[in-house]
Amino acid sequence: MVPDFLTIAEAARLIEQRELSPVELVDSRLARIQRFDGKLHSFIRVLADEARAAARTAEAEIAAGKYRGPLHGIPIGLKDIYETAGVATTGHSKVMQDHVPKADAFSVARLKAAGAIVMGKLATHEFALGGPSFDLPWPPARNPWDLSRFTGGSSSGTGASVAAGLVLGGTGSDTGGSIRGPAAFCGLAGIKPTYGLISRMGILPLAFSLDHAGPMAWTAEDCAILLQAMAGHDPADPGSANHPIPDYRAALAGEVKGLRIGLIRHFYERDNETNAATRAAIAAASQTLEDLGCSVREVTLSPLADWAACGMAIMQCEAYAIHEANLRARFTDYGEIFRDRMALAGLVTGADYVQALRRRRELIGELDRAMADLDLVMTAAAPSEAPPIDSVPKFAILERPSLTIAFNVTGSPAMSVCCGYTDAGLPLSFQLVGKRFADATVLRLAHAYEQATPWRDRRPSL
Amino acid sequence: MTRQELDQALARLGLAVPEAERDEIAAATHLLEDMQARLRPPGGRDVAAEPSHVVKFSEG
Repeated sequence: MVPDFLTIAEAARLIEQRELSPVELVDSRLARIQRFDGKLHSFIRVLADEARAAARTAEAEIAAGKYRGPLHGIPIGLKDIYETAGVATTGHSKVMQDHVPKADAFSVARLKAAGAIVMGKLATHEFALGGPSFDLPWPPARNPWDLSRFTGGSSSGTGASVAAGLVLGGTGSDTGGSIRGPAAFCGLAGIKPTYGLISRMGILPLAFSLDHAGPMAWTAEDCAILLQAMAGHDPADPGSANHPIPDYRAALAGEVKGLRIGLIRHFYERDNETNAATRAAIAAASQTLEDLGCSVREVTLSPLADWAACGMAIMQCEAYAIHEANLRARFTDYGEIFRDRMALAGLVTGADYVQALRRRRELIGELDRAMADLDLVMTAAAPSEAPPIDSVPKFAILERPSLTIAFNVTGSPAMSVCCGYTDAGLPLSFQLVGKRFADATVLRLAHAYEQATPWRDRRPSL
Repeated sequence: MTRQELDQALARLGLAVPEAERDEIAAATHLLEDMQARLRPPGGRDVAAEPSHVVKFSEG
């Protein structure tokens, strides 16, 4: 009997020791998908036959002594903006519902090469922006902790499917918080790595200079395992960094005592006031980090609205440019939320875009200076626990300044870490941010925090 | 932005926005105006202040 919930690390250990067959594991996940996804809607397309065939291959390879590593035989899901050879990649949109790529995205090919088994394509907000929407070819994903709640977006299906144990990990993308938001609302670990660490080749873009690919899983250790496979230089992506890739999982064992953390309190207490439960959970998390031997001191940056304005202006212009032709030719084939957000984006001028890029340079310098004598900063990842799914305003992304987009502007590695639950049992989260290419430090501290707290022991009951 | 100004702007963009959605978009344009104002410091910028040419980031 395969447990309902396993981390990647736990399953990998059992598979390597041949106490668990990839075939059994995949069959158990397919059974869970069959049982629960009718109400979660986390999958757009389940690849049952392909997954079973890949599991049989993995089982045979492992039996022959050709164990590839901790992703070998592990069931994962792909946000449906990651292109897959011969399998439709839709962006959760009518506009691309017949798009069947010829090749896998660079990161998908790497995950498969590491032995991961793709269980299917996961729900997203339309083109990683418009949602939650009820007028698309597929319904929006639901939060496994409470089906009436929002998963966060845009990596909504990844958040729901991983939290529900339908897959053990998955891919997300993050242009303004689309990994960290769903990770926060669904109680996961999710890291937006340093810009350029994972190739975007073969991933449908939202905004070129802000788009980051990244993993979502139950723990920081699982994120490290997935990141290890996904990261690496790709000459086909002009933003891809040619930078040494450390052993992220091995780095988890390093010391956290002495790490210097800056707490950006004004982001979540003044600029975008979070609710009391979130503030209390972050205060407790800060104390836990101090108990682990870190130093925590408050830092002040420009108002959150400045960071959000910079990021949103860039995102709107780049996204509009990508969709301009289709918006003109088939406006109403897009869902209402996406298309109306894009109509507003069309009003942003070329001068606005350049002013945003000038502001971006200033803000990158500001964070670099603030972190000169720090190793990380921390702040909120979301303003509250997951709200009701039908309460998200059409222009929410402009109404309150995002708590996450600042670190898309700076390209910094940033991670959502679960730090407790509300009285109603909904996850709470905080955000850890490192220096560029110090992704291993972010993962190490998140791992140490998870080990020191009980939050990873709780799972949603479906 | 008034509804009439929005209609003109959408016509220039070539977007066939349904009539039922236009008032809501017009009502949201103040959010855009707030965003645009924040991109411009009150005293202006040094004329030579360069934009960020982000293709690759340095370590930092």
